Amino acid sequence: RSRSKSKRTSGFDMAPPAALLPNAAAAVAGQLPGITPTI
Amino acid sequence: CSRLHNRPTISPTLLLSNMYQRPDMITPGVDAQGQPIEARKIQEHFEDFFEDIYEELRKFGEIESLNVCDNLADHMIGNVYVQFKEEDQAAAALNALQGRFYSGRPIIADFSPVTDFREATCR
Repeated sequence: RSRSKSKRTSGFDMAPPAALLPNAAAAVAGQLPGITPTI
Repeated sequence: CSRLHNRPTISPTLLLSNMYQRPDMITPGVDAQGQPIEARKIQEHFEDFFEDIYEELRKFGEIESLNVCDNLADHMIGNVYVQFKEEDQAAAALNALQGRFYSGRPIIADFSPVTDFREATCR
């Protein structure tokens, strides 16, 4: 779609912040994941 | 509401559960940091959301109606109802929305039995 309009980016496909995805996101960011609680 | 509404296997209407979150959802007129928010900002926030969702959904077909609940009560909070002209357009949209995120939150999409929003009440 046209990006010519001065509009902030859509919230679609905005992934959750890294804190909420410890395994996947932390691995990407190169951080050590926190202790994963045992379910 | 606590009723278990029936979920049709096909419908021109989709329900995106709890998708809209007001910036002042914790306390009316106040943001998460406890700062007051102008009514204009809240309105803009809503309009941005509405535009986002409209732009995304219209890729799948002609939209008959788009309803966003911006209520603060628990009941149907932030629910988005989108009615397409055709059932297969709704099906395509549902399929495309599965497993995606909006603003860091997963999209929960389902068919909804509602086809006339003036008549839409719990029965």
